Amino acid sequence: MSNEQLLALLPFMVLAGASIVVILMIAARLSHTAIQVAGFLMLCFTVLAMGYVRDILPQEILPLFIIDGFAALYTGVIIFSVGVVGLLSYIYFEEREENPKEYYILLFLATLGAAVLTISRHFVSLFLGLEILSVSLYALIAYLRNRNNAIESGLKYLILAALTSAFLLLGMALFYMETGSMEFNAIGQKLAGSDPGVLFKLGLALMVVAIGFKLALVPFHLWAADVYQGAPAPVTAFIATASKVGVFAVLMRFSLAVNLQQSEFLLNVFSGIAIASMILGNILALRQQNIKRLLAYSSIAHLGYLIVAFLPGTREGIEASVFYLFAYAITILSAFGIVTILSTRMKDAEDLSVYRGLFWRKPLLAAVLAVSLFSLAGIPLTAGFFAKFIVLLTGANYNLWLPVIVLVLTSVIGLYYYLRIISTLFASAPAAEPRHKPLHPFFHFVTYATLFVLMVMICVLGVFPGPAIEGIRQFLMIR
Amino acid sequence: MHIYLLQAVTQNPDSSYWYLPVGLQLLFAIAFVGLMMGVTHLLGPSRKTADKLSNFESGIESVGNARQPMAVKYFLVAILFVLFDVEVIFFYPYAVNFKSLGWEGFLAVMMFVGFFLCGFIYIIKKGALKWED
Repeated sequence: MSNEQLLALLPFMVLAGASIVVILMIAARLSHTAIQVAGFLMLCFTVLAMGYVRDILPQEILPLFIIDGFAALYTGVIIFSVGVVGLLSYIYFEEREENPKEYYILLFLATLGAAVLTISRHFVSLFLGLEILSVSLYALIAYLRNRNNAIESGLKYLILAALTSAFLLLGMALFYMETGSMEFNAIGQKLAGSDPGVLFKLGLALMVVAIGFKLALVPFHLWAADVYQGAPAPVTAFIATASKVGVFAVLMRFSLAVNLQQSEFLLNVFSGIAIASMILGNILALRQQNIKRLLAYSSIAHLGYLIVAFLPGTREGIEASVFYLFAYAITILSAFGIVTILSTRMKDAEDLSVYRGLFWRKPLLAAVLAVSLFSLAGIPLTAGFFAKFIVLLTGANYNLWLPVIVLVLTSVIGLYYYLRIISTLFASAPAAEPRHKPLHPFFHFVTYATLFVLMVMICVLGVFPGPAIEGIRQFLMIR
Repeated sequence: MHIYLLQAVTQNPDSSYWYLPVGLQLLFAIAFVGLMMGVTHLLGPSRKTADKLSNFESGIESVGNARQPMAVKYFLVAILFVLFDVEVIFFYPYAVNFKSLGWEGFLAVMMFVGFFLCGFIYIIKKGALKWED
């Protein structure tokens, strides 16, 4: 391995080192605050390292990794999400758990797994990344083990994720049997020109099960609502953003390498999945009274929208998907940020009744939640609108009319339940609320500031998306 | 008809018929299990006694309930043992190839041991190996 290749891996090494640093800090009995600050610094170092190695990209580290602009973009979205999740975690865990420190080890390991997925070009690195991500998530989901739903949701995720890992492995084995290779590019070259055999199709079907499970796409979405509800709110935010970004990145890279979208049949399969996700996700969310479950169903629908950008398999598709994921990450992070802040010691703020008349009690929080819900619904002047718009544009450019029409129609359905929450926010009759002094004034301030910044970002991305798109384009040139 | 299909296999080895034997075997396995279970169910005599419903424990009458709370420390020690066991397993191939791997291999193993040591420090400081409270 040359020096430059080693250097290109620097951000990932810093990320891996972060969990070691946290382990040693716990061993030295440092406080939660110190670990939180150190964790945040390590994330800053990761970002700095990414900026530092930008000029030497792209680097290919045979046979496992490729670090290019594509990977840098997706890793950037992951690191950004984890930074916000980490900031939100402090107050949440400080108030609840006597032992909140191991949470950060698991969080960093899960981040490392998701980041490894974005740079993998080989089945081995894909599987290792996915397992690092999932094994950390099992523990993260059940972290508050005294809660009612925590163990249940952790166990559900464990069993289903282990089962789909088996599917993934068998799919990989079948690919290997058909092509004699585990590298994405080599598989693509072997398949080029010839009609894919029955083994390839079977292997792909098995892999779609595993990937569909991780992305919570429709036939494999049943875990989403229960896990979102049972997991601690910051962990739910992590599942909704970082883990899905990583898995989507590897799906995109794999499909580009083997020219998945060239096959009419596979295109139909993926459009079917996208259409089913959009319709079912939105319909299931309609009558939902629990906001965490509602966001789970809405995330199923949103991943369906994202698959529409995945369908063309071109540069425009990648651009649209990166922008969509970025906008979606900001939006869902601010929504879960509000859930985190409003949660009480015993229970997460998941019932809609908690939000009744929130605007009259805490105008800032209500405004952030309203803006993020507008963005999820795709109202103009928010990031969500523009993200949906460019996804529509890419779909329309490639004559994918059916998914595009379904996207528009289901967005209208989605509007209903987002607006229902917003109207609750502004409803009268504010519930009498026991005021308690914030335990950590500084961190409360930081969390509020973060949420405010996220809200501003949603608006700025919705009004001036140009610079962001241009930045994404420039990064994608690095290949 | 089977003979016709088998001919298709021999003539055209790349076709999906190549997997016909696998499919036939699968069907045979399912049919065999179904047949055996069905026939024993239908033909076998069924006598229900209280002894049949009790747990079989090597012929000895079972005593008490197995679901007793047990100290989690046993589990902790067992899992830490597995962890260090795996570390030793990784050392074996390195020890065999010690000379040929040279300094680069030595550094890699040192790094591995270093990470492991961090975990070990964590375990000790957490008091996971302390048997008595």
